[in-house]
Amino acid sequence: MRLPSALRGGVFVALLVSMPMLGLQHWFLNLLVFVLMYATMSSAWNLVGGFAGYPSLGHAAFFGIGAYTLALFFKDQVLATGYEPFLLLPVVGLVGALIGWPIALISMRTRADVFAIVTITFLFVVQTLAFNLHDLTGGSQGAALPIPPFAAGQYELPFYYVMVALLLFTMGLTFATMRSKVGLSLVSIRADEDKARGVGVRVIGVKVLAFSVSVGITAMVGAVWAYYESFIYPQFAVDPLITIAMVLMTFLGGRGTLWGPVLGAVILESGQQVLTYQLGAVQLYLIVYALLFLVIILLLPRGILPTIEDRLRQRRRSRRTEAPAAVWPEDPAIPSKADTVTTRGGGAA
Amino acid sequence: MTDLLSVHDVTKVFGGVRAVDGASLSVEEGTITALIGPNGSGKTTLFNIITGYLKADAGRVEFAGRDVTGSDPGRLYREGLSRTFQQARVFPQLTVQENLVVAGGYGWRKLFSSRVGNEDRERAASLLEEFRLDRVADLFASELSYGQRKLLEFAAVLMSAPRLVLLDEPTAGVNPVLIETMERHVRERNAAGITFLIVEHDMTFVMRLCDPVIVLDAGRPIFTGEPSVVQNNALVLDAYLGS
Repeated sequence: MRLPSALRGGVFVALLVSMPMLGLQHWFLNLLVFVLMYATMSSAWNLVGGFAGYPSLGHAAFFGIGAYTLALFFKDQVLATGYEPFLLLPVVGLVGALIGWPIALISMRTRADVFAIVTITFLFVVQTLAFNLHDLTGGSQGAALPIPPFAAGQYELPFYYVMVALLLFTMGLTFATMRSKVGLSLVSIRADEDKARGVGVRVIGVKVLAFSVSVGITAMVGAVWAYYESFIYPQFAVDPLITIAMVLMTFLGGRGTLWGPVLGAVILESGQQVLTYQLGAVQLYLIVYALLFLVIILLLPRGILPTIEDRLRQRRRSRRTEAPAAVWPEDPAIPSKADTVTTRGGGAA
Repeated sequence: MTDLLSVHDVTKVFGGVRAVDGASLSVEEGTITALIGPNGSGKTTLFNIITGYLKADAGRVEFAGRDVTGSDPGRLYREGLSRTFQQARVFPQLTVQENLVVAGGYGWRKLFSSRVGNEDRERAASLLEEFRLDRVADLFASELSYGQRKLLEFAAVLMSAPRLVLLDEPTAGVNPVLIETMERHVRERNAAGITFLIVEHDMTFVMRLCDPVIVLDAGRPIFTGEPSVVQNNALVLDAYLGS
């Protein structure tokens, strides 16, 4: 089991690193930068929404916080090499995580739909602040960042590699989470938080930690995006659609899995960009989003990867001659509520 | 023998219903104490208050000589007071082995250690074997039968080496063979030093296993004594059958 997953990881890294060497056109590299951004953000969202089962709709607020943090830091500055903003990313991540900590402590006292409402409220508060704190954000006139002094022919490359690094960092963190007791605790919280409390799981600490790390990464992506765009406006920096995209991508690929959010981001983000380029209808992707969400709920409630994993497991089991569950034939198979919960995801794909 | 758990004048009101009404009781260390009573007499509410899932409107709970009124369930669990639920509650998305490991009551530093380390595996292995769950250790808990889940839930709360275990209807919904198994496990664990407080409707189970028996009616204890005496007590018969 270890070899294939290591091999899969190795091929993935090699593919990401070597992709720009294939002489890709600018529009394609630009597309890849955005795919990587969304893959990173979906993977980050997955830590809270996937593993802990807390459907945050406020993550875009932290995307904006990251963008404006970088904008404030480099206000009216001229860059020498162009790499300075990238070096500041850990600080941006820390700022996002520190702001996320109290937000998580308050909002995570609620659950499920109420939690979603509390977090989306936070998103709109941050958006309103971004519009109105003119001295800090420039308000609706926007905020300028330093122009990256990269050669026009290779403009996308630094952003591409920084996003590759951020994605690998996030996936590494997800992998470590799945392999540690943090991941075990998060899944128990998603399954039955009250029961988890009762068996000594550090419920509050673990979910607040997951939220802070998740929004810290989101803030870093926001900072890279702001630098890439060079000029940011509140309606784009704190955009509910960014949150919706993270949620959709994670649900499509498979929440609570390592590769699911990445797969979802590749499909949805590239699909959206292709639709925009091909059809010239910028808003058409919103209709496709809505349709996809319906299709996912109807056909793949657990997402692509967990569904495939389930099918494979069922096939393996049907090949076995003796089922282990038959150890106790005398047990009454009284159906319980827990039976219905198995469709909520949690594989290690 | 000293009291491991004592409840003093605990009251809990839901709207106009006094679910627990000034209840006081104690559980002596080393005993298998039963808490019985007709439906709606406040047994589960009292369980929820003792284990920190509900806040009492009035009264005090002491565990191992310490006031633990309103303590968090997780903290109580780590201090040695654990419970099971009326409907077996396990984590369906975790394997049977992981269900045990997650209940290890580990501290912050261990959180960042391996999901199921060697030490955890060893700790879980003996319980899995004891509860005959070793052959299904790698299955998801969602794949177990209800009876197996009941056993798994019981086994899981033993992972933290508790001093007092509260069992909420351990035999509800399980077959006679498993009832005997459950009884054997309670006896063995009790002999190993664990105190039990059991809510149960199966009177034959209670009469065979428990001593003393506390009878609750309308939110307060009306009788405490040996099982043989309880059966013939007029107050108890009134509570169950009506006068």
